[in-house]
Amino acid sequence: MPRTTTVECPGCPPLRVLTFDTLGLIKIVEARDKQEGGVPKIVERWGEPDSSKSIISVSMIDSKTQPLMAVARKNGQVEVISPINGDLQAIVSNANSKDLQSDENNIVGLHLFAKQNLEVASRSCTLLTCTSKGNANIRSIEFTDLSTESPCNDSSKSWNICSGGNILCCKVDTSEKFALFGGKGVEVNIWDLENCSKIWNAKSPPKNSLGIFTPTWFTSATFLSKDDHKKFVAGTNSHQVRLYDISAQRRPVLSFDFRETPIKALDADIDGYSVYIGNGSGDMASFDIRTGKLLGCFIGKCSGSIRSIVRHPELPVVASCGLDSYLRLWDTNTRQLLSSVFLKQPLMHARFDSSFIVEETPAGAVSLPNKEQTTNKISEEVEASPLKRKKSSKNKENVDGDQRKKKSKRSEEQKKSKGKDGGEKIAKIASRDKGSKSTSKKKSKNSKLAIPDEGL
Amino acid sequence: MGGKRRKNDDSDNDEGQKKPEIKKFKREELLPSMIKNKEKRSEIHAKLKRQKKLEKRSKQKARDAAEKRALELGEEIPERMVPRTIENTRELDETICKPDDEELFAGNDADEFSSILKREQTPKILITTSRFNSSRGPDFISDLLSVIPNAHYYKRGTYDLKKIVEYAKNKDFTSVIVVHTNRREPDALLVIGIPDGPTAHFKLSKLVLRKDLKNHGNPTSHKPELVLNNFTTRLGHRVGRLIQSLFPQDPEFKGRRVVTFHNQRDFIFFRHHRYIFETREVKKTDSKGKKDKEGTSETGPERKAIARLQECGPRFTLKLTSLQHGTFDTRGGEYEWVHKPEMDTSRRRFFL
Repeated sequence: MPRTTTVECPGCPPLRVLTFDTLGLIKIVEARDKQEGGVPKIVERWGEPDSSKSIISVSMIDSKTQPLMAVARKNGQVEVISPINGDLQAIVSNANSKDLQSDENNIVGLHLFAKQNLEVASRSCTLLTCTSKGNANIRSIEFTDLSTESPCNDSSKSWNICSGGNILCCKVDTSEKFALFGGKGVEVNIWDLENCSKIWNAKSPPKNSLGIFTPTWFTSATFLSKDDHKKFVAGTNSHQVRLYDISAQRRPVLSFDFRETPIKALDADIDGYSVYIGNGSGDMASFDIRTGKLLGCFIGKCSGSIRSIVRHPELPVVASCGLDSYLRLWDTNTRQLLSSVFLKQPLMHARFDSSFIVEETPAGAVSLPNKEQTTNKISEEVEASPLKRKKSSKNKENVDGDQRKKKSKRSEEQKKSKGKDGGEKIAKIASRDKGSKSTSKKKSKNSKLAIPDEGL
Repeated sequence: MGGKRRKNDDSDNDEGQKKPEIKKFKREELLPSMIKNKEKRSEIHAKLKRQKKLEKRSKQKARDAAEKRALELGEEIPERMVPRTIENTRELDETICKPDDEELFAGNDADEFSSILKREQTPKILITTSRFNSSRGPDFISDLLSVIPNAHYYKRGTYDLKKIVEYAKNKDFTSVIVVHTNRREPDALLVIGIPDGPTAHFKLSKLVLRKDLKNHGNPTSHKPELVLNNFTTRLGHRVGRLIQSLFPQDPEFKGRRVVTFHNQRDFIFFRHHRYIFETREVKKTDSKGKKDKEGTSETGPERKAIARLQECGPRFTLKLTSLQHGTFDTRGGEYEWVHKPEMDTSRRRFFL
């Protein structure tokens, strides 16, 4: 019997997401307070719909003091925008390569340098751009007050990454010294940005047992952890996810397949080992990259290709968006859909604004470290009855349906490790030993009751 | 034994107690399912059913009478009750297009079909088949050729579909239709928008060819009118535009030919008709509504223009299984929408 009611989304913690779509619109989605159930809403829309201004790539400095955002559009313009109020700071257009613009020479890679930006006065910024033909360019831009076309300084460096092929992914590591490029017909390579030299180049994996060589086609890549530029994950068009380690070898250390459609989006978790993968048919999953094993899928009504996955820098939330024009927010621990927002246009990118703080809540709450935040959130939700909480979370897992036993075990482990449930675990053990306290008995009963639920 | 007897005794006692109750609250209290004796139960059930039936009939009579009276007095006719169907109780969908949505129109202008729909380009269709094709497949294609103007059939041969798409691009086609045949029966339709349009994959079912239709008409070569019904959501809108881009945008009304794509519960029904307007004498002893219309028109008390339909061309049903971004590419394709089993959470949830 099909379910006739819709699944209630539990809502998400206060956060702010910026989405970028194919009509060149930037939409700001905010989830404000708990009282309204944390339902995210569209707060603002910047720009007018214009298909020639379709957004190709985005880079954002996510800092509290000087947030800044750069947006590359289809017509070859790069706009530097303040992510707080949408004020245009500067426009750069590739005047010299306009003729190349016509035959699909979009800016696919874009990076705003945060560190240099902090050092220098706030009136300028440094940009790395990379076109799909492989022309990389670093230049610094000064903001002029009436900026229609701001001139870039002479300190621009440009070099060529590849002779043939199409660059599709470009990432700069957190130290901002190294950049990674890859694409269709271009093996992943890493460049030292200070002296513009290639320091490492991947080698294609050997032919398979039938002697068939799968052509190189990288669609997405991400560095694995913050303080390390040596390990990165790349997704290919032939639905393969590969882990590379620069210090080890030029061929992938680990590679595994995910479903049947090309990997379109990748993002690493802050814990440094789990990665989120999104593919062309709208499937999203998280993998443990150390073993290459599936942690679990994100099950929802996601039906269109996922173009971007972003992990919130502090909260346990992942955002995904794509061609089905929905922005979806997921819980990383339970892999449950927190909420989804319909944004009318096929979305290209999403970014979190981590400095967003709701006025009502104390300012410290958002910037708390990850684990404490989650426990706080949960305890806020159902403070009155911890027993109920346990049950409800179980039910939610059931609703999710596809949660396998292995997965639920894992999530239980995670919960247990969180300290709050640790007490419960102890209580369970105690009740098994003696059955002394009534409360512990209840708890153990409840957990026993919950087990057949899980089996369903 | 003793237990049984006691039970029987109990039930007897129960009935003894209930008998006055039945008389008291016949309708409210006692449900037939609560009675254990089958004869009694069925008796009461029949009684209840009859009562309900009578009630229903009397209600209907009252409604009819009210309507009649309102008509006679010239008052406003009381509103008719609308039956609750799956469609009008469909789950709320936020993606349903609204007429005041400027982003929707901006998106329309930017999409792949806008050049055709603005009549800057005339549609030119390439029709081909799957690798193996026999029996009903060619018949269906010949029917399709007569439905879609400016459609050209090309033999599939052993070409890859990607090669065919490439060829169509070079020859300035605007769409490619692939009829897939399985067990000599067409079962899928692939519609590819040509330069960089989307690829829609439909399941095709309930195919009735023209020659199998009773009293079918033969279509003329006029450009048909197009009716697209109920494509409400964003996805539906897009599919509707895809279908619209197959037909020329300047119908010849002289031909009196209509092609209908009617969407109902995510199934798209295709029909092809010829219509004719006729003036006919109408008998006076007709239903009230018609009389009323006659009174307002006042052309002639006994003459009335009616439209007659004659079905011609094939009849089939489509169901969307996937909509792919870009042209046909199964391995590296990106989907705008794929039907997944986990999306079927409710029978009142529709996507088009």
